[in-house]
Amino acid sequence: MAIKADVQLDAKGLACPMPIVKTKKAISNLADGQILEVQATDKGSMADLKAWAESVGHQYIGTVDENDVLLHYIRKSSNEEIEEKTFEQTISNEEIIDRASNGGMILDVREEAEYAFGHIEGSKSIPMSDLEARLNELDKDKEIFVICRTGTRSDLAAQKLAENGFTKVYNVLPGMSSWNGDLSKKL
Amino acid sequence: MSNKVAIIASNGGLFDAYKVFNIATAAAATEKEIAIFFTFEGLNLIHKQGMQQLPMPEGREHFAEGFAKANVPSIPQLVEMAQEMGVKFIGCQMTMDVMGLTKEDFIDGIEVGGAVTFLEFAKDAAPTLTF
Repeated sequence: MAIKADVQLDAKGLACPMPIVKTKKAISNLADGQILEVQATDKGSMADLKAWAESVGHQYIGTVDENDVLLHYIRKSSNEEIEEKTFEQTISNEEIIDRASNGGMILDVREEAEYAFGHIEGSKSIPMSDLEARLNELDKDKEIFVICRTGTRSDLAAQKLAENGFTKVYNVLPGMSSWNGDLSKKL
Repeated sequence: MSNKVAIIASNGGLFDAYKVFNIATAAAATEKEIAIFFTFEGLNLIHKQGMQQLPMPEGREHFAEGFAKANVPSIPQLVEMAQEMGVKFIGCQMTMDVMGLTKEDFIDGIEVGGAVTFLEFAKDAAPTLTF
């Protein structure tokens, strides 16, 4: 299935270092948190883009090989690690599987592309930016465990849910970046 | 961690040019500050005419086809890109004097300096690369 990206960059047929150079240019036009899809045929671009993202501080999400075209997904970093978390009801990564199996729900508010490359089995995906419009998909009587990569977007999402009358809401910390359990993919 | 990459270009062939400018543009894309010191034959790589027809190593001429097939950018294209991304080019004054060349023989936007100019930049660079 196609993975959702905000911007697509065609770097097909280009040799090193062009895919990296083009990626750098393209990502400067993105807003924080947006997803860039880089289409490349240079096989070295897989290792290169991953190392590049790490070095520059963007989030490398993953790569799909589609008929010899490599589709790389990168999320522009938003320095979210330094922001403060304010939602008071929190829960640890380790506790949520048990709690969710007792009738609760794990809500993953990362971007669709991040969810596609690895999420907790049975969790529901609603990206943070869509949350307000999709509140009707959620049940106020159920416990909701809101998770993202590092606990910052989920913090904001939990606040938004609380504002809208959800009371059994928990922010999951530290989030998917430290998830040790099984992961499902949706590619 | 150092945010600087210092490169010494001291050879003047086509392969040398790719080594220098590929690393330089990749480093620039990774938000590093880069200076290249062109010395001896390395000056060829930024010489207005010389850079247009850099020699392949003897017996390796058949690689020309491979370069075309792999869609590798040309050296003048890489040079332009590097400059656009802020890579600093320093021509070695001493070598230029020896070879009877002046700043006008080279592409626009280069600096001319001695070894100390480069060393000053390179003193806190990691890595420093020599080609």
